[in-house]
Amino acid sequence: MTKEMLQNCGKCGLCLNACPVYKLLKEEQASPRAKLQLIKAYDNNTLASSALLKEIVSKCLMCGSCTANCPSGIDHYSKFMEMRKKMVEDQGETPAIKSLIYLLAREYRIKFGANLARAGQKILPDSFAENYKLGNIPLNNFPTLNTTPFRKASDTIILPDKKQVGTVLYFTGCATNYLYDDTGFATIGILKHMGYKIIIPEDQTCCSIPLLFHGAADKAFKNITTNINAFKNHDVDAVLVDCSTCGEALKNEYPRLIENQGQNPFDTKKIASKVMDILSFIDQHFDRLEFDSTLVEKLSVTYHAPCHTKNNFGAHIIAENLIKKLPFLTYKRTPDFDECCGGGGTFFYEYPDVSKKMVDKKIENAKAVRATYWLTDCPVCRMNLAGNLNNNDNLQVLHPVTIIHSALKQI
Amino acid sequence: MLDNQVKNELIQIIGKDRYLDRPEELACYAYDAFLVESEPEAVIFPETTKEVSDILKTASKFKIPVTGRGAGTSVCGAPVPIKHGIVLCFSKMDKIIEVNTRDRYIIVQPGVVNADVQKALAPFKFFYPPDPASMSTSTIGGNIAQNAGGPRCLKYGVTIDYVLGMEVVLASGDIIRFGSKNVKDVTGYKLSSLFCGSEGTLGIITEAILKVLPMPETVKTLMVTFDDLDNTAKAVTDIIGSGIIPVAMELMDNLTLNAIEDVANLGLDRNAAGSLIIEIDGVKEACEKEMKQIIDKVRKNGAIHVQEATSDLEREKLWTARRSAYGVFAKLAPDIISEDVTVPVSKVPLMIRKIIEITDKYGLKVGVLAHAGDGNMHPMIPADRANKEEWKKVETAFSEIFQAAAELDGTLSGEHGIGLAKSAYLPLVMNKNTIEFMKKIKQAIDPDSILNPGKFV
Repeated sequence: MTKEMLQNCGKCGLCLNACPVYKLLKEEQASPRAKLQLIKAYDNNTLASSALLKEIVSKCLMCGSCTANCPSGIDHYSKFMEMRKKMVEDQGETPAIKSLIYLLAREYRIKFGANLARAGQKILPDSFAENYKLGNIPLNNFPTLNTTPFRKASDTIILPDKKQVGTVLYFTGCATNYLYDDTGFATIGILKHMGYKIIIPEDQTCCSIPLLFHGAADKAFKNITTNINAFKNHDVDAVLVDCSTCGEALKNEYPRLIENQGQNPFDTKKIASKVMDILSFIDQHFDRLEFDSTLVEKLSVTYHAPCHTKNNFGAHIIAENLIKKLPFLTYKRTPDFDECCGGGGTFFYEYPDVSKKMVDKKIENAKAVRATYWLTDCPVCRMNLAGNLNNNDNLQVLHPVTIIHSALKQI
Repeated sequence: MLDNQVKNELIQIIGKDRYLDRPEELACYAYDAFLVESEPEAVIFPETTKEVSDILKTASKFKIPVTGRGAGTSVCGAPVPIKHGIVLCFSKMDKIIEVNTRDRYIIVQPGVVNADVQKALAPFKFFYPPDPASMSTSTIGGNIAQNAGGPRCLKYGVTIDYVLGMEVVLASGDIIRFGSKNVKDVTGYKLSSLFCGSEGTLGIITEAILKVLPMPETVKTLMVTFDDLDNTAKAVTDIIGSGIIPVAMELMDNLTLNAIEDVANLGLDRNAAGSLIIEIDGVKEACEKEMKQIIDKVRKNGAIHVQEATSDLEREKLWTARRSAYGVFAKLAPDIISEDVTVPVSKVPLMIRKIIEITDKYGLKVGVLAHAGDGNMHPMIPADRANKEEWKKVETAFSEIFQAAAELDGTLSGEHGIGLAKSAYLPLVMNKNTIEFMKKIKQAIDPDSILNPGKFV
């Protein structure tokens, strides 16, 4: 089965320069084409499992740029996920990644972990934080955790500020729930302002992408079922995500995995058909926004297009156009606005050297356009970009919704 | 694996970070976009000419095969180390040394990607004409070694027409430099002609001076469809015969159009038997006049639909369709084999009929794709190598296609090169003395045959 699936890579090499890791390392083994070759060799038993094989196939941001640029339409994503699973089975996983998976596999554990971490933050001496790094990010540059998880702090059903025009479900993702509640509150604020009733199902949990990327498909499956059950019984206009990676999971991975498990994909596909990233949704209903007319001074912003926004939703152009349309912003594009920042889920932690070079180039270009805000719609990109800025860089990284929300006319 | 003594000597030169020889790594340098695979014993990433020279001195001393590699996008097996030994990978020797549009040249290291040359020239409104389909990834070193072409070579010519000068390291490690920054230079032998297209069998390119051109003021692109493939081909010979030289004339048959449309969803006409993408450039008024003449000619040859791209986006869409052809064919079957036989343009209709006749005879699917304006055909046959019976038919069909091209005064390769794919067919287009002559040149420069051994010479 796997053999047939893999044979149709024509090895044309067009994925090489689409791949952020290849572009940086300039070594064939970093390329998507090479990974497919190695997977084929492993499946045909001509190449044995090894720690190096695991490293080569895992040194990948799972950004999807290869697939987006593949003329043969190869699904690298699924092939890489399957191979990562095999490699974890053969070679084991590092303790840090293991505990991440353990944590994300159950919502109560995520909560517990967040509580512990919050306590940790309070007692961590500054001298310690300044000297230590997690991956490429200095510890004291990590975001502080939400004092209360976003979903606990907000209601499950939120009514609009004006006459209701529709209903939406909001999949908040772990990052908004535990790290960046400003994104969550801004999203709600905008949707209320637009006239939407918002439902935030209580039972939702991690989308499972981190689990799938690290070969924990069985654990992922439990989360997936939980999420589908939490979302399936609502009749809504859209299922909104503020993180395009979660969106990719709901839209593409869930239906595929459910079908692979031989289960009825009806509910999953219904949900998938309604999944939309928040920026595309705002753009589609742009005429429902009323801005505060007293804002006179324009804010200058630049934008970093997350890979999953670009490759899975094609929405980076929509996001950029939306930002350009906002009357209170001056948009300054960087030449590499749609290139990967090197965050890649846990990539920044596992391959800090590679990641650091990628993010430093982004930062250099972003500083050169002299913007005040650096907008990006992915929490890992945000953490990675913000985490690598210096205090005196005078650049603040935000989700675009936060800045949009702050400029809305008060009703 | 190389002998420890050799390995140590090489690491002395390059350092251990740019020396790979673990099996997982070697497996990644065994292939290009062709079918045959063969692993090297070591992969080395040089960054300077001196390093290349020292590596070749060592390789010469121990008689180790050395095969150059850029991005590995060759479609004929040229960078596949069929006799193992060392792969010299140039992807990290990738500096643009000088951009000088006033004197109309650019100097680059071999690992610079073709698209990056274009990017460096764009702000000056200049471009480098050779545009192989792999240009987003393929390197100048590889382009020169293979004498790469591309769609717009109809008007602008192939790589050799743009190489003003080169620095080359010989098998002995000796460094030679020839040509200059001058567009006109007839000093001595035209050595660039010797190394350009030598596929790494005569020397290793470490620097190149390339001629560049100002971007044309206007570009116009046309998509024409026909309900008959023969008429499509006749339109091509008619236009070229009338003295118009478009930038490109890309022919695609029904199977190709549908294969692209299945994947890319570009709104191509699925019912057309043949189509042409025709592009012209130059001064606006001249373009408009030529466009009228071209439309007139295609209509006379029975075009059923003529559409001019009205925006850059539309134009890009047409070219995306054309560029994705090879990749989408790779989807149709586990393997794909595509060749690039070339015939004089007046024989394009005949050659296409021949290709269809031959593949029909063996019951094979064929996609006919061609840079038709210069007679450069790209018949593509999707097949399964594991199916021995089918594969035998594919091989026989291709040998008959080569034979047919030769009979029409054509040649084996218009732009891909010979590599492993076509060396057996050289006698079809070259007499014994000519092949002997090439061997003598090889013998004189590389007596131990360490440079890309096992290839066409």
